[in-house]
Amino acid sequence: MIKEGTSRKWELWAFLAPALVVVVIFYVVPLILTVYTSFTPIRNWNIQRYATKWIGLYNYQKLFHAIANDPSVRAVFLTTAVFVGCTLLVNVLGGLILALLTFFVGKRTNSVASTIWLLPRMSPIAVYGLVWYYFFHGSGIGTLNSLFLKLGLIDKPIAWGQAFIPYGPWSVIIFVNGLVGVSFGMIVLSSAIKSIPSEFVIAARVDGATDWQICKRILIPQIKWHIMYVTTWQLLSLLTSYAHTYLLVSWRLVNKTYGTPWALYVYDLAFTGVFDQGLAAAAGTLLVLVGGLLGFMTLRILGFGKLMVEPRGDI
Amino acid sequence: MRRLLFVVLLLTAVLLFASVEDSIVQVGRTLEKNGIKEVRYAVWGSGDPNSVLRVLGIVEAARRINDIWAKNKINVKVIIRETRYELDFTQMYQEFLSKQPLGTAGDFLVNSYVYIAPLAEEGYLLDLTPYLEKHKELLEDFFASHIEVAKYKGKIYGLPQDTEARPFYIRKDIAAKVGLDLQGLDQKVLKGEFTWFDVYEWAKKTVQLGASQWGLIHRRGTAHPDLMQFILVFGSKLYDPADGKLVFDKEAIYKWLTIEWVFAREKLLPSDMMAWDWAKQVHPAIVDGKTLFDIGGTWYWTEWQTKDYYTDPKTGQMRGLKPEEVEQWFYYTLFPVGEPGKKPVTLSQPFMWMVSSKAGAQNPKYSALKSTYDELAFLIAAKASDPEINAIHSIISAHLPVGKASAALLANKEWLDKLYNLELDLDPSVKEKIAGIVKATVNPINAKFLSDVSYMLEHTNFPPIHPMYAKLAAIFAEVVDQVLRGQMDPAKAIDYAIGKINADLDLKASVKIINEIPKDWRFPAK
Repeated sequence: MIKEGTSRKWELWAFLAPALVVVVIFYVVPLILTVYTSFTPIRNWNIQRYATKWIGLYNYQKLFHAIANDPSVRAVFLTTAVFVGCTLLVNVLGGLILALLTFFVGKRTNSVASTIWLLPRMSPIAVYGLVWYYFFHGSGIGTLNSLFLKLGLIDKPIAWGQAFIPYGPWSVIIFVNGLVGVSFGMIVLSSAIKSIPSEFVIAARVDGATDWQICKRILIPQIKWHIMYVTTWQLLSLLTSYAHTYLLVSWRLVNKTYGTPWALYVYDLAFTGVFDQGLAAAAGTLLVLVGGLLGFMTLRILGFGKLMVEPRGDI
Repeated sequence: MRRLLFVVLLLTAVLLFASVEDSIVQVGRTLEKNGIKEVRYAVWGSGDPNSVLRVLGIVEAARRINDIWAKNKINVKVIIRETRYELDFTQMYQEFLSKQPLGTAGDFLVNSYVYIAPLAEEGYLLDLTPYLEKHKELLEDFFASHIEVAKYKGKIYGLPQDTEARPFYIRKDIAAKVGLDLQGLDQKVLKGEFTWFDVYEWAKKTVQLGASQWGLIHRRGTAHPDLMQFILVFGSKLYDPADGKLVFDKEAIYKWLTIEWVFAREKLLPSDMMAWDWAKQVHPAIVDGKTLFDIGGTWYWTEWQTKDYYTDPKTGQMRGLKPEEVEQWFYYTLFPVGEPGKKPVTLSQPFMWMVSSKAGAQNPKYSALKSTYDELAFLIAAKASDPEINAIHSIISAHLPVGKASAALLANKEWLDKLYNLELDLDPSVKEKIAGIVKATVNPINAKFLSDVSYMLEHTNFPPIHPMYAKLAAIFAEVVDQVLRGQMDPAKAIDYAIGKINADLDLKASVKIINEIPKDWRFPAK
C-alpha cells in the first residue's frame, strides 16, 4: 500500500514534470552551455576543434580588460542602463495608461485602439525596423526631417540617431523599442482591469468618485501584481533584447557606440568580426548574472513575497 | 600577328589542360567503379550584379567535365544542385562560416581572398596544394601575385577567379565646367604630380561654382578595402611580413582621417557617407553627375550600364547608362598620392574559387570516397578557371582577368563578336542567364576600358591576409564614420582607435602601432 504522502509527491511531480522538462531543456541546459563555452576558446563556430579546450578565465580577463579600457564598451554599459531604464518606464507606464484609457472609452474605440497599438508587435521585425528607418532617416527622405523642413522647424535635415550624442541615438532606440513593449503591458493590464468585478466601479461611481479616483483607489491597487509581473518581465526582456536595435545600428541609422546595449554587444562579439563565441559567452554569462540580480531585486522591491503568501481563508 | 598569338595561346592552353583531363577521366572511372551515377555539389558566390559567372562558372565547368566523361563513355554526371548568388559578400562569408561545420554550406565558395586566412585557420577549406603540385601547369597561367595571396601558412587554398583595380573616377563634363584639364592627368597621377591637395582644391572649386553638389563620393559601410588606399598613398602599409603583425601607422592614418574630416566639414563629401545606400544614393549620385570625383572600382563601369541608376532628364525615368555615355562622362586614374614624393596606388581584392573541406559530403559513400570527391571538386574549380570562362566574366563584370590566356582572349575581336552573339560553346542555362548582361556589356568600349586599366595592376596592393584584420578594419570603419559626422576630430579618432586596439587583448597582440601624429602637417596646405 502506498502511503498518502508518497502518493501526493508523485502527483506533484507528475504535474510539474512537463514544465520542468521544458525549463531544463530550454533554460537550464543553454545556461550551462553558455557558462561552459565561456571557459573555452570557441570561435568561428568551430565547436569540434575548441569545445574541449579549457582556457580558464581568459575570456573573462579579456572581457574585463575591454570594459576597463575600451571607451565604447563603457558606452555600452551606460547605454544598457539608460535603454533598459527608460524603455521599461515607457513600457510599464505606457501600458498602464493605455489600459486605463481603454477601460474608460467605448468598446468599439477600445478594440480599434488596441489593434493599432498591437501593430508594432504584430509586424515582422524587419518591416517595423524599416518603417522607423525611413521615419528617422538623416537625409531629406526621412519622414520626420521632411515634415520639420516643410513646417520650417529646421533648415537642414538632421541625422536623429547620429546627432546629439548620446541623447539622439538613445531617444531613437528607446522610442522604437518602447512602442513594441507598450502593447504587451496594455494587453496584460487591460485583461487584469477587466477581471475586476464591475460592482466596485459602479459603487464608486454611485458614491461620486471621479475617473482619477477610480484609477487611484480601485483599479491600480487591484492590478498591482500584474504591474509587478509586467515590470519584471519587461525588465528581463529588455536586458536581452537586441533585434530592433541591431537593425537600426547595422543600417547606420543609429550611432553604433551609443546605440548598442549589452545584448547587442554579445551578439556582435559572437557573430561579427572574428566570431569570438567564447568571449561572447563570457559577456552573456555576465548578462545572465546581472539579469538574475535585477530580477530578484525587482521582485523584492515590488513585494513578490506577499503575493506568494497563502490566503488566510477569510473573506 | 595578334591572331597567330591567339592561336598559339589557345593551343598552349589546350595542351596544358590535357593532364587535367586525364585526372577528370581517372576520377570519373573511380566513381563509376564504386557505383556512383551522380555527384552533387552546391556553389555559393557573391558580389556585384554582373558577376554571376562566379557561380555559373562552376555550372559551366560541370558541363565540361560531363562532356569529357561522356566522350570517354563514363556513366557519371556532376550536377550543381544549388547556385546561390548574393550581393553582400561579407554576409555570404558569415553564412558559410556558420554552416560549414554542420556540412550544410556550399561545396564551393567564391569570395574575397581575405577570408582565406580565417577559413583555412579553422580547417574549413580544402588545401589545394597537393593537387596543384600534380597539375603545376595550372599555376603557370595565373599571374604570380594572385597565387601568393591565395596562400595561407605556405599552402594554397584558392584558385584566382578575378581581380580588379579601384580607379579614381573623374566626371569629364564637370571637370570641363570648372577648368580641370584631364589631358594627360593619368600620367600626372602616375608621376605623383597630382596629389590629394589638388583633389581638394578642385573639389572645393567645383562645389563653390555649383558645378556639382559634391566634390567627392566614396564607398559606404566599411573602410575596407577602398579607403585603405589612403594609408598606402601616404607611404605606409597595413601589414609587416617581417613579424606577421598588422600595422597601425598613426601618421598615415591621421593624414587619411584629416582628409575625410576636411572634406566633410567643407561639405565636399557627405558627412553621412558611410550610411548611404548603394543603389539609391551612391551610384545614382555618381551617374547623375552630382560629384566630380569618386573612389570606385572597375566593376562600376559595367554596373552603371546594366543597373538603372541614372535618371534620364528627358524622360524622368531611371535607366542604365549606354556604354558611350560611360565613356563620354568618366575619366579614370590611379589613386592619387597623399603628398608629393609618395607613390600612387590601386588596390585589388581578388576573388577566389575556394573548396570546402567537406565538399561533396552530401553524396553517397562520402567517407569511403572523400578523397575522390575532394579531387573532383578541385578539378571543377580548375575547369572553372578555363581562360574562356574567366574572360567572359571579365568583360561582362569589368573585372580584370587573372591569367594570361584570358587576357589574350579579351583582346581578340573575333572572340568578342562570338561572345556577343552567344555563339560560344556554353551550357544553355548559362547562356540564358548571362544573355542580357552580355548584350549590355560586350562591346569595344568596355574591352578598351579593361585594356586601359590593366596597367593599374602594376601598382596594385592587397589587403593583409591576417585572422585579426577584420577587427582592425571594423575599427577603421567606426572612426571614419565618426570623423565624417564631426563627432571626433582626427587626433581624437586616432586615440579612440588605439584605445580600442589596446582594449582587445587578441588584437593588441596582433597589431603594432608605429609613428606619431605629425605636428607640422596641414591639410589643406593654405
